[in-house]
Amino acid sequence: MEKIKENSSGWSNGMARNITFIVTKDCQLACKYCYLVGKNSNERMTWEVAKQAIDYILSHEDDFKEESVIWDFIGGEPFLEIDLIDKICDYVKIEMYRRNHHWFNSYRFSFSTNGINYHTESVQNFIKKNIEHLSIGITIDGTKRKHDLNRIWKTADMKKGGGSPEEERGSYDDVARNIPLWLEQFPNAGTKVTISSADIPYIKESVLHLYSLGIHEVNINCVFENVWQEKDDVKFEEQLLELADAIIDGEFYKDYTCSFFNENLGKPLDRKLQNQNWCGAGKMLSIDAAGNFYPCTRFAQYSLRDKRAWMIGNIYDGIDKNKLRPFLVLDRCIQSTLECIECEVAEGCAWCQGENYDSADTSTIYQRSTAICKMHKARVRANNYYWNKLFRKLEFKGIAKKESVDYAKLSNSNNLIC
Amino acid sequence: MLQYLIIQLDNTSTSFCHYSNTKNRPLLITLDNLKNGILFAMKENLMVQYVLPDYELPAEYIEAMESIDNTKIASYQSVYANNADIVVLNGWNKEYLFDKDDVYVLRVDKKELFGKCSEIKEKIKMCRRLNIVITDVETFTDVDFELYRSVLKEFSIALEDSFAADFVAQLNVLTDRMMLDKMNNCNAGCDSITLAPDGRFYVCPAFYYENEYNIGSLVDGLDIKNPQLYRLEYAPICRHCDAYQCKRCIWLNRKTTFEVNTPSHEQCVVSHLERNASRELMMSVRERVEFLSDKEEIKDISYLDPFDLRDEWL
Ligand code: SF4
Ligand code: SF4
Repeated sequence: MEKIKENSSGWSNGMARNITFIVTKDCQLACKYCYLVGKNSNERMTWEVAKQAIDYILSHEDDFKEESVIWDFIGGEPFLEIDLIDKICDYVKIEMYRRNHHWFNSYRFSFSTNGINYHTESVQNFIKKNIEHLSIGITIDGTKRKHDLNRIWKTADMKKGGGSPEEERGSYDDVARNIPLWLEQFPNAGTKVTISSADIPYIKESVLHLYSLGIHEVNINCVFENVWQEKDDVKFEEQLLELADAIIDGEFYKDYTCSFFNENLGKPLDRKLQNQNWCGAGKMLSIDAAGNFYPCTRFAQYSLRDKRAWMIGNIYDGIDKNKLRPFLVLDRCIQSTLECIECEVAEGCAWCQGENYDSADTSTIYQRSTAICKMHKARVRANNYYWNKLFRKLEFKGIAKKESVDYAKLSNSNNLIC
Repeated sequence: MLQYLIIQLDNTSTSFCHYSNTKNRPLLITLDNLKNGILFAMKENLMVQYVLPDYELPAEYIEAMESIDNTKIASYQSVYANNADIVVLNGWNKEYLFDKDDVYVLRVDKKELFGKCSEIKEKIKMCRRLNIVITDVETFTDVDFELYRSVLKEFSIALEDSFAADFVAQLNVLTDRMMLDKMNNCNAGCDSITLAPDGRFYVCPAFYYENEYNIGSLVDGLDIKNPQLYRLEYAPICRHCDAYQCKRCIWLNRKTTFEVNTPSHEQCVVSHLERNASRELMMSVRERVEFLSDKEEIKDISYLDPFDLRDEWL
């Protein structure tokens, strides 16, 4: 029987606590869409800060009751600090064992990297040592043309605050050479692609290109920031229709996934039964180089354009639980306008609490940004087309629609767009 | 709906609430701003509440102030204390002389409240109403919660006797909840706004003193951004709560949780200790005499912080 590929479920299926170390704010690249407005090469986490953070977390087991933990490392580019990370991970393992902590057998180390240093000896040694407990995502935006449009090397002038487009050098070749090694070590790895206004014309070719590189799971989403130009939704819809045709006609749906297409998308939402918040901010913990705690990295100062950092404590004084309360009681309707609450295609329309905060009229997380609205509606139209076309095709092939729907639901139940 | 305009006449006008007055140098609102504020209130149908300084105001100010029906708030030390509708006592002093017909706000920190509880208790029956405002609620620890529970018990004993003797003394933290069938909170930013000496509007005087955001000015008009967040329906914890007497202090919310609509753990527990003490007091009085027969009994509940019930609502 013909199958539609299931997306791999996230590790521990949402039952894990996410703890993020912002090990450095430096990066070799200067991606044009990067939301990290305050990147710099000075703020690197020290071992003392990292150790104290781990000690605090592991000695407050009652405040971290989730059955599993994901120790997440981000930057800037986290692999710039591989020696520190190696030391942190060794210490975490020893301490979880020594304390007989309930996370000892249920942990993972997770990385989002630009992939440039992936092949280096120190990174490879680290991977070999921890491979059983590792998730690594390499960000590659698609074809060379598309990737190099945004993901460019930082120049010496940029480091000083200058730089001009003539000097721009894309990073595609430096990342792509590491993809085979990565897929050999993590055959089920997926990649994350972020779409901004200028990327729209390249969506189809990029997704297909990633498939051709051997990446079976493409998690792709539009940025939440208000970057969209007039008619972007029309162009976006056209691209997605073309992509839908390519995936269905080429029968990629059997072995590949693309998170743009999801059967659970574009239906109205019940005010009571489907009132959950979308974003996990507040159920995570981020730690920066100074030892400050945040509800998510997007609330650290280097991620914010217009607002003050939302600090919820630090490694010395611990977590101020009052600063977490707004996140833990936040629901969908309380932060949405009536238009969003009554929207006919609300299901799957995502938001990022950090972007909501950054773009709100006052200093609040209770005002949902709707910059993505027209893009979501375009996605819903293309998504409807995709499933109608796919089901019709499968029906012609003699596969009952209901069965296909069941597969489709399974295949898309774990898409996280964040 | 907006109903009240609080006019903070001078930088040194007393605090009547949780915030402290951080500005020591006098800065009197200009006469033009005062008159424009009054005009604004008249046009918007708002009741005016003046917060007076301790010193004597120029005659033309008094004349302007009386051009609209108003309520006056002044400190016990103010030259206007005798004319004030609400007299503010900043800290406890056993020498205070109370007038039976007056309403007093007693601003005390926890140390003073716990230490001077027996002296304060004696004065409850000597005025029409006493509002206790604890100025450091946000610092309460588990030990403080227990101490506050005993303070409320002591106040209850004093009140029970007076109720049985048919004199209904009012003490906000114990009697308000008995009388209420729905929330009756501060409602700054929703029912009331403040005009500060700088000619700008603020959610309440605390937002002026703590250099927080303003919500417009007499020149540019009132401009409350995200106004829904000051309303009970948009308060994710409070809308599920029945501690109806709670101040639900918007300013403390902002200070402790960063959100004007989300209270701290400490505020919730303190208010629930009051709620539960009101319940017990009401039941004890009812055992002795018929008391508030039109009011329902306050329910027995198992939590002190409604936040703990969040899984039931989400
Ligand atoms: S918000 Fe209300 S309760 Fe809080 S200080 Fe201001 S006036 Fe008082
Ligand atoms: S006790 Fe807490 S939840 Fe209840 S009204 Fe007061 S601040 Fe709100």
